[in-house]
Amino acid sequence: MLRVDSLALAYGATPVLEGASLEVPSGKFVSLVGPSGSGKSSLLRAVIGLQQPLAGVIETDIGAGDIGMLFQDDALLPWRTAEQNVALGLKLKGVAAGTAIASARQWITRLGLYGLSERFPRELSGGQRKRVALAQVLAREPQLILMDEPFASLDAIVRARVTQDLVRLVELRGISVLLVTHDLEEALALSDVVYLLSHGPRARISGRYEVNLPRPRDVIKARSHPDFAPLLQRLWNDLSREVGERAA
Amino acid sequence: MNPNTAWLRKTVALVILIGVWEACADLGYFDPLYMPAPSKVAVALFQLFAQGTIWPHLIATFSAALGGLVVGLVVGTVLGAVAALTPLVGELLAPVMISLNAVPRVVLAPLFVIWFGIGVGSKVALAFILVAVLIFFTVFTGIRDVDRRLVERVITLGGGRGALLREVYGPSVIAWILGNLKVAVGFAFTGAVVGEFVAATKGLGYLLSFAQSSYNAALMLALVVLIMGFVLLLFGLTGLLERRLLRWRG
Ligand SMILES: Nc1ncnc2c1ncn2[C@@H]1O[C@H](COP(=O)(O)OP(=O)(O)O)[C@@H](O)[C@H]1O
Ligand SMILES: [Mg+2]
Repeated sequence: MLRVDSLALAYGATPVLEGASLEVPSGKFVSLVGPSGSGKSSLLRAVIGLQQPLAGVIETDIGAGDIGMLFQDDALLPWRTAEQNVALGLKLKGVAAGTAIASARQWITRLGLYGLSERFPRELSGGQRKRVALAQVLAREPQLILMDEPFASLDAIVRARVTQDLVRLVELRGISVLLVTHDLEEALALSDVVYLLSHGPRARISGRYEVNLPRPRDVIKARSHPDFAPLLQRLWNDLSREVGERAA
Repeated sequence: MNPNTAWLRKTVALVILIGVWEACADLGYFDPLYMPAPSKVAVALFQLFAQGTIWPHLIATFSAALGGLVVGLVVGTVLGAVAALTPLVGELLAPVMISLNAVPRVVLAPLFVIWFGIGVGSKVALAFILVAVLIFFTVFTGIRDVDRRLVERVITLGGGRGALLREVYGPSVIAWILGNLKVAVGFAFTGAVVGEFVAATKGLGYLLSFAQSSYNAALMLALVVLIMGFVLLLFGLTGLLERRLLRWRG
């Protein structure tokens, strides 16, 4: 469980978030959407401890070592191979080197990167690097994963595959997820709950949408479920109003 | 042009250059006192080795250059790292280093002779100061400009100071140092030879100044070729090291 209550955040004198509250119940997939620049990344950074909030509460029953973060860019250590990058995540959690490497190889294979273990990040495509970063997070068997537009740079097919793999794993292991995305369809297809962040500055949560599509979920087929289109329409309208009001 | 034959074209160009030079010298266009023929230079070079007189000089220059290089690399790296990681030390060291960087540091050669004598000490000191300042800035700015994203990744994975040094700062610093290693090797030899040139009893720089005082242009050119050859050899070794350690860069 993760609870963010009345979070306020600023960069110097520039306010970003004010009174932002959301909750990620245990084992649930939660998405956060909102206009760009509203403070979605900043919120995740505050949760993981990279950003100091001005006010508010960030509460969780999950230890810091059991929270994983997948960043927007796929920056891996360039001087470490794919498997070394994944193993590093385990070693920093206290896993012995030999076990870490063996487990890293398994995860790399599980994410469809068989045979690429010993490549350096430079020798991998964007989609492959993303999978390595995902393997690095998943190998630590986190209870909560924070993701910041992790799939934005992937083409449609690769993106569908990576997200489907992720959803299957999350469903299987009861992992909680807080996903930031600007893709409303993706948010609905993957999530149990979607939060809408209002336009900044002083952004707060302006909408909460329950997504009661069946699980296990097919991230493509879910989009043709009868409940999907009306939800998407509502979310779209609300987001347009957020962006429109400020722009006008 | 075919890149596979680049070495061939370069060799041909060099041979032509030397050939033209030899021809001009033989035809009397060049005064042999100032510009001896390549064959004369080759003879001078051969004699240096055949008579065995070159060895103590070579050893002297090499020891001074390599000594200054190694100590300069170590001290430059440590000071650069400490200055970048502890702001107080950074503020103390930065002005000194900036001043040292602003002057051509070989001007310190006469001073070092007074401080450390005409023996090997003053040559090592000059090579050292040339290398250390270069490496200080390499490491200092390198650590300051380290990829913040990588630092955040390691912190997010639970890494502390030790992990950051080992996983992020260490490898970045090694990459930057290797990137500047050729320049450092060149600097080390410059320091050693200039130091010997100013005041010494042996070394390639000493031989140069001896050749100068005896108006022996062939010997001078032979020494220049010799120094060039050795520095190129070291560049080659540095290149090998770079390719080996920076494999991840491709
Ligand atoms: N390091 C920073 N320094 C100053 N301002 C920042 C910094 N990071 C983000 N901002 C500003 O804070 C606001 C929110 O940024 P961000 O959290 O990245 O938004 P989002 O992820 O929703 O696009 C933006 O206006 C952005 O310009
Ligand atoms: Mg963002």
